[in-house]
Amino acid sequence: MSSLFDFSNHPGLYFVWATLLPLASFAFLLVASGVRAYVRRYQEADGPVTPPRWPAYVATGAIAGAFVLSLVGAIHFLGDHASGHGPEAHAADDKHDNHDKEAEKGHEEHADRWAGHLTWASVTPGSPGEMGRSLTLGYHIDHLNVVMFLMVTFIATLIHVFSMGYMADELQPMVEDHQVHDDHGHFRRRGRFGRFFLFLSLFCFSMLNLILADNLFQIFLSWELVGICSFLLIGFYYERRSASTAANKAFITNRVGDAGFILGLLICWTYFGTLNFEDIFKQVRAPAADAHGKSLALAGHIVRGNDLPADDGDAKFRIAQADGASVLLFPVEGHVHAADLAPFKKDGTTPNEVTLARDRGRDEFGNMPYWVLVVAGLGIFLGCVGKSAQFPLHVWLPDAMEGPTPVSALIHAATMVAAGVYLVGRCYPLFTPDVLLVIAYTGGITLFVAATIALVMTDIKKVLAYSTVSQLGYMMLALGVGGWVAGLFHLVTHAFFKALLFLGSGSVIYGCHHEQEMTKMGGLYPKMKITALTMLAGVLAIAGIPFFSGWYSKDAILAQALGYVMVNRQHALLFVLPLLTAGITTFYMFRMWFMTFTGDPRDAHVHEHAHESPPLMTVPLVVLAVFSVAVAWGWPVWDAEKSHLEGNIHHAQPAAVLAEFGLTADEPIGVGEVGRERHLAHEYHSLAGLMATGLVALAIVFASAVYWKRFRVLDPAETKENFPAAHAFLANKWYFDELYSALLVRPALVVAGWMRGFDTHVIDGAVNGLGRVGVLVSRLDGLIDARIVDGLVNVIADAFYALGGRLRGVQTGYLRSYILFLALAAVGVFLVVAYFVSRAAAGP
Amino acid sequence: MLIADIGLPPVGLNHYLLLGALLFVCGVLCMATKRNGIGVLMGVELVLNGANVNFVALASYNPAFQLEGQIFALFVIVLAAAEAAVALAIVLNFYNNHATVDVDTAEELKG
Amino acid sequence: MNASDLQSLLFYALAILTALCAVGVVVTQNIVRAAAWLLFALGGTAGVFFMLGADFVGATQLIVYVGGTLVLVVFGVMLTAQGPFVNLRTSAAEWAVSLVVGLLLYAVLAVATLGGTWTKQERTPEQQVAMTDSADSNNSILIGHAFMGQKIGPNATGYLLPFEIVSVHLLVVLIGAAYLARAKRRRGVANVDR
Repeated sequence: MSSLFDFSNHPGLYFVWATLLPLASFAFLLVASGVRAYVRRYQEADGPVTPPRWPAYVATGAIAGAFVLSLVGAIHFLGDHASGHGPEAHAADDKHDNHDKEAEKGHEEHADRWAGHLTWASVTPGSPGEMGRSLTLGYHIDHLNVVMFLMVTFIATLIHVFSMGYMADELQPMVEDHQVHDDHGHFRRRGRFGRFFLFLSLFCFSMLNLILADNLFQIFLSWELVGICSFLLIGFYYERRSASTAANKAFITNRVGDAGFILGLLICWTYFGTLNFEDIFKQVRAPAADAHGKSLALAGHIVRGNDLPADDGDAKFRIAQADGASVLLFPVEGHVHAADLAPFKKDGTTPNEVTLARDRGRDEFGNMPYWVLVVAGLGIFLGCVGKSAQFPLHVWLPDAMEGPTPVSALIHAATMVAAGVYLVGRCYPLFTPDVLLVIAYTGGITLFVAATIALVMTDIKKVLAYSTVSQLGYMMLALGVGGWVAGLFHLVTHAFFKALLFLGSGSVIYGCHHEQEMTKMGGLYPKMKITALTMLAGVLAIAGIPFFSGWYSKDAILAQALGYVMVNRQHALLFVLPLLTAGITTFYMFRMWFMTFTGDPRDAHVHEHAHESPPLMTVPLVVLAVFSVAVAWGWPVWDAEKSHLEGNIHHAQPAAVLAEFGLTADEPIGVGEVGRERHLAHEYHSLAGLMATGLVALAIVFASAVYWKRFRVLDPAETKENFPAAHAFLANKWYFDELYSALLVRPALVVAGWMRGFDTHVIDGAVNGLGRVGVLVSRLDGLIDARIVDGLVNVIADAFYALGGRLRGVQTGYLRSYILFLALAAVGVFLVVAYFVSRAAAGP
Repeated sequence: MLIADIGLPPVGLNHYLLLGALLFVCGVLCMATKRNGIGVLMGVELVLNGANVNFVALASYNPAFQLEGQIFALFVIVLAAAEAAVALAIVLNFYNNHATVDVDTAEELKG
Repeated sequence: MNASDLQSLLFYALAILTALCAVGVVVTQNIVRAAAWLLFALGGTAGVFFMLGADFVGATQLIVYVGGTLVLVVFGVMLTAQGPFVNLRTSAAEWAVSLVVGLLLYAVLAVATLGGTWTKQERTPEQQVAMTDSADSNNSILIGHAFMGQKIGPNATGYLLPFEIVSVHLLVVLIGAAYLARAKRRRGVANVDR
């Protein structure tokens, strides 16, 4: 990073500045709020002070500026890519046998233009050839970053604008919280308008930094930062017990995931010597071509084998692809020879061997145990499970709805929870097939469980929360079955329509004066038409109605799942679950929409006071609605595989995906039977799409039959009564909270009780015993002191006291007796003196 | 003369000293037996007189200190007057406070 | 009748008078009578002083003691001599003990007096020079000079400083006595007045 303003040579800096702008806003607001808190003391002497509006303008300006910068950067990037500097162009050149120096140079130049880093802390300075261990801050722009940047900054900008309307309550000098009671009735506090935007700015910075990062360390920092922002914003109304509890729950649940993340990080650090993505992936996966530009059969694969005992000299590694206990780590720099890496030598019988360096340099081979790589992958995935609210750590996300609705939209629907999916996508080459299968099943279970719970939720935000969990499950499933593009594609489209749905629900809640229960809504369509129609667009998009954005991404996922299942028949569940859930999703989304906007008003009071939100809130809704419909469009619109957005994401797909799941249609099918999924996915795309659309249509009909007044065929209440057990099971969210309480919280408390018992009885007992011994010794000492030493002193004192008591009688107090004594004494003295004088006289 | 033949023993220093001693002892006895505060004071006066008699007698029988003995006696007389004044004031005060002059009631300092 | 005999006669008379009066002071139970006995005892002592040639001392005895101090005592008697206090009787046991102690004391003093040998000292010639007039003549002048600071002998000093001290002492005693014996206003009476 020579200069932070050298945009023409380093256009990637546009994105760096887009990241730093919200940080500047955050820093400014932080200082300003400190100053204000100081000044307010004096202002409040004249009565309550109205919070100012300008923090919103600062924060919104910053994020809008970030959007503009991202847009400029994206235009530059796409322009660069089109002119042939892109990495894919380079890869295409590589396919030819004559190695092209120009392409090499172009690649270098491209990397220099779109990536950079600075070393933050260097652990081992080392010589250039060695694996230097250093922590860096850096950026690396590819198509995925660009798309994510545009998505995050755009949605964040709209949500900032929306928040200005939604959080207007906080502009009062004193806000009355109707959900909190203290001794004087409702709890009253200062308005927190500025604080909200302060947190939002910090969040935007953290999220953008997470996307920007080119290494795991930087991602981990941002990961924790978005976590703390989430915590702060869920607990925004922290006086409410439910809010503070939910914030704690979210934070603690995420800690479980982050423990895995750290484990993965440590393994990477130990075995790869770096946390930089590029360097890690270069080591784990076989390069595309060898020193002579010849394509490798193992290109993009994890090469497994066995370590041979080192009799003398360097250790050897014998390649045995399927069941090796060890993994070969490739050099970061330099090329490898194709002959070295073939499973067998040219005669076809002898396994190939690779020499391992003892002190590994950057251009030498290394190795690591296979199970450690699996653990690293599972650990990082566990972090993603926590962040993306996947089974079994999904329990925090619905509770996170205690935060203000714009926060739910931005953090807990569109961006932060997607970070887990993003990270899985980023770390894809690190995951072994076993880990990918775990990812797929986790996603599959999550999407089904969450969707079923969403069926019976009555809180409008809870429905959306479970819907979010379910959709995130789709993305995970897609990634797990090789749909790298499909999963991340769905991430982007979902961000738009879920943000739309949340903001819509926010508008409804705002219009109904903070009423969230759908059982008190109904018939709101005439009162808030814009909200209702934009939300309908969101509902149609999430349901996957053709030509809405959700259709493109969901079909891609289902097609990929089908393709995977066709090859791996034993995993049929991975297609059945998402297919079924597509129907369920449609049903509950329509149920929500019908319950909210159609039918008779269920609560006259709420209905009477309901109103449409101000333009500050409806305009973002309309904009998001347009994007929810059209963001995935390509040409031709009716071809689900021709989405422009998908095509862009496709450019960033790592080679590992193709290696694990087969090659694209126009390339020859790879090694043996494995890896035909991609091919089949393409083949069955329309079949999967048709099945899904059919189910969706069925679900729409069913939902209308149940919830639309005009077709009221089935009574939901009656259904509920007919299946009480099923309803209770779903309404209690599959008893996950109770399960965790019984399995984790209570045992933890019991163990803590034991520990406490141990502490109080054994440790305290020992300490107390020691103390008691000390007391005993002291008491003995005290006894000696009191009886012997003091006794001696007391005996003397007592003797004198007794003497005094006796002599006391002499002091009669009678003047006359004193005189008598005096006279007697005079006589006595006289006699004594006379005696001595006479003796003295008689002496000589 | 008739009187001349009485044959009185000649008066010497011892006689005066014995008189002083008698006065002294009477003063002491007076102090020891009188319960009246003023009686005690009278005893003191007697004691001082006994002492004065000794001073003057010894002075007149020893010319080396003739003047000194008399001057001491004078000082004693004056100081006795001062003592009498203060003692009487004390007795009056005592009388005011205790409504009696019985020194036996003044026994607050009894051990 | 020679001078010596007359002197002896006078002495015995005075001595007996003084001793009897002193004993009377001790013996009488009535404080008023005791005061009267004291008066005579002091007067007798003054006479003894005259006999010893100490004219000035005797005169002072009469003036200060008999005329001043005794009047003071009599006033005290009069102020406090109310019914019960005139006769405060002492128990016979106390009398007995006191008498024993008194006799013992007197015996000791008498033995000491009679056991000693008293030799008459002569004045040195220098002393004799200072004493211009004979000792038995009027020595008031000498005493006055001594009080005014005149040296009596080469080794002796004048008595001006003790004289002054005694004067100031007297003044202080008089003020203090007046303060001690002043009529106190009773608190209760004061309250009634108000």
